[in-house]
Amino acid sequence: MRRALRVEVRRGTAPFAALAMFGAGVWMLAVHPDDWGGRWAGLANYLRMSMLILCALMIAAGAWQAGRERRRDIDELLASAPRPGWQPLLVAWLAVALAGTAGVLVAFAGAAVLVARVATYTGGGWWWTLAVGILALGAAAALGVFVGRIFSLRVVAPIAGLAAYLGLGIATYWAGRAAAWLSPVYGGWAADRLVPVRVTALQAAWLAAVAALMLAAAARLRRTAILAGGLAIAVAVPIITGPAARRLPADPAAVELVCTATGPQVCLSRINAFLIDDVTAVAQPILAHLDGIPGAPRRAVDQAAQPDGQPIGENHETVWLNLNYQSTALGGLTSPDQLRADFRQVTRPACMDASGRREVDQQVYLTDALATAWMLDEPPTADTPLARLRALPIPEQRAWFAAYLDAAGRCDGPSLIRLGQL
Amino acid sequence: MTTVSVEGLRVSYGKRVVLDGLDLELGPGVHGLLGPNGAGKTTLTRVLATVLRPDRGDVRLLGHRIDDHSGLRQARRRLGYLPQTFGFYPRFTVREFVEYFAWLKEMPPARIPLAVDRAIERVGLLDRADDRMKQLSGGMLRRAGIAQAIVNDPRLLLLDEPTAGLDPEQRVQFRALLREVGLDVVVLVSTHLVEDVVAACTRVSVVDGGRLVFTGLPDELIGTGGDSDSGDSPIERGYTAVLRGARTAPR
Repeated sequence: MRRALRVEVRRGTAPFAALAMFGAGVWMLAVHPDDWGGRWAGLANYLRMSMLILCALMIAAGAWQAGRERRRDIDELLASAPRPGWQPLLVAWLAVALAGTAGVLVAFAGAAVLVARVATYTGGGWWWTLAVGILALGAAAALGVFVGRIFSLRVVAPIAGLAAYLGLGIATYWAGRAAAWLSPVYGGWAADRLVPVRVTALQAAWLAAVAALMLAAAARLRRTAILAGGLAIAVAVPIITGPAARRLPADPAAVELVCTATGPQVCLSRINAFLIDDVTAVAQPILAHLDGIPGAPRRAVDQAAQPDGQPIGENHETVWLNLNYQSTALGGLTSPDQLRADFRQVTRPACMDASGRREVDQQVYLTDALATAWMLDEPPTADTPLARLRALPIPEQRAWFAAYLDAAGRCDGPSLIRLGQL
Repeated sequence: MTTVSVEGLRVSYGKRVVLDGLDLELGPGVHGLLGPNGAGKTTLTRVLATVLRPDRGDVRLLGHRIDDHSGLRQARRRLGYLPQTFGFYPRFTVREFVEYFAWLKEMPPARIPLAVDRAIERVGLLDRADDRMKQLSGGMLRRAGIAQAIVNDPRLLLLDEPTAGLDPEQRVQFRALLREVGLDVVVLVSTHLVEDVVAACTRVSVVDGGRLVFTGLPDELIGTGGDSDSGDSPIERGYTAVLRGARTAPR
């Protein structure tokens, strides 16, 4: 079988599949490095997010490979051979699956080199996420082989790929449901979340069963197909009736805090700790600016470490920083401005009504903007409230800001409007 | 020694009966299978190649019944087949293509490299063994097809229109190959070219209207023709005489 596999890998659809998957992988990685930069779990999750494209390509490659016999008018010659038909089919599938997977893994290996340089957390079972992704590629190729065997037209391969793309895309809208686990596409969980081993094992079994079902059906092995189909259903039931992706618990080791030793405290979760120097450079000057002001935060903490269920702003001493998409491919900070924007939670008036809407006078917003600009030390333009605020002595500026925080915390509209009239 | 035995063979495509009550016995040697278009030559070849299941009849290949799964697999291991429409994988090299079929024919892995080289050499393609199939001319492709058919040293070799696309020199070489292979192997050559039969076949069968209407030596076929029969050569006259006789005889 090795001999046939070697020939198929070199001369079949496999080299094209490898090239296409490599190209797609590179493209996907280049589009959103902020999703995976510096985090192993982020990289594994991003592979699963890329399944939307990668599985569609694998299905197209499998369909193209499986339709080859009829396209090339060679099926009669194959039918006269003694080797059972499932064996060449298996070899053809294996060649496409291996080559396609190798193509995408080479692309992701390049990204892994970049991650390895800076990553500060290696745990979290991300390799299981990766392994399920690889199984998904195999299952996608098997589905393609089945489709290619059923329909011999050349156009079937691109149509099957497109249909898979649309189908998987629609399935992403189920992300809140447990059934979303049936899709190989990333379910939207953050890199610091732990996917339960039970779910990963069921996903792996589901994808393996689907692959076996598709190959058996393509090879017309009825008993094996029924067995694999039964297994697929048996595995799908506990997945569908289990917990949904949005309830995933945090990985305690990933969200363990790593804090600065000097200056105003900046703490990041271990998984994001590679960003601590860049984040500190942005956050510490702001925290230093606010130091000693009553009601102002004293430290900045990675939002990943926020206890589940605690809304932002509940703890006035802490400003929470969202670092989910804050890494470049090389492990630097993507957007310092975005990080500074996280400090807006400090000045936001607590004027939410029961429905979560904010219904306040527009002038309150102007005061909010003024307080934010002062806090972030934004440059003033001439003859603006900010310029006038900055013209005050420092103690008066700090007193003004303390008064603002007090009024904003109580949603005291008249006081906020008055504070804005500098 | 009979190695192919067919009794009461009936094959139909829908309502159209293509072969009906056909009996055939073949032993070692090169057998020519002649007949007009639509006579059932290709259908008979496909049944013997085990790719077409007959409606009725008993078919034994190399001592194995083909309606028995185990026997079918045994027979296929010693079968070589070149269909009328020879498909191929264009990106494979000749060596890879023949090697792939050696694998499909369940040859022991250790024997494959030598067997592949030998088969390619026998069809005169050794110098093109590492060329892609898509780079070969029509005649070379046909020879590559023959190479895959003989790679497993078959005991039964079925060739449907094997000389189509070969130039005269290649046909002469091919006939020599047939004579060499046919010394101890059953070779059935379905063809329109009666001169191939005279040059290479030890026996000849004529099929018409789904029935076997003649089987014998080429000289016996020649002997059935007379000066009044149409044809440019003695065997063509014999062939047309057999067909005329079969069509006028009561069924």
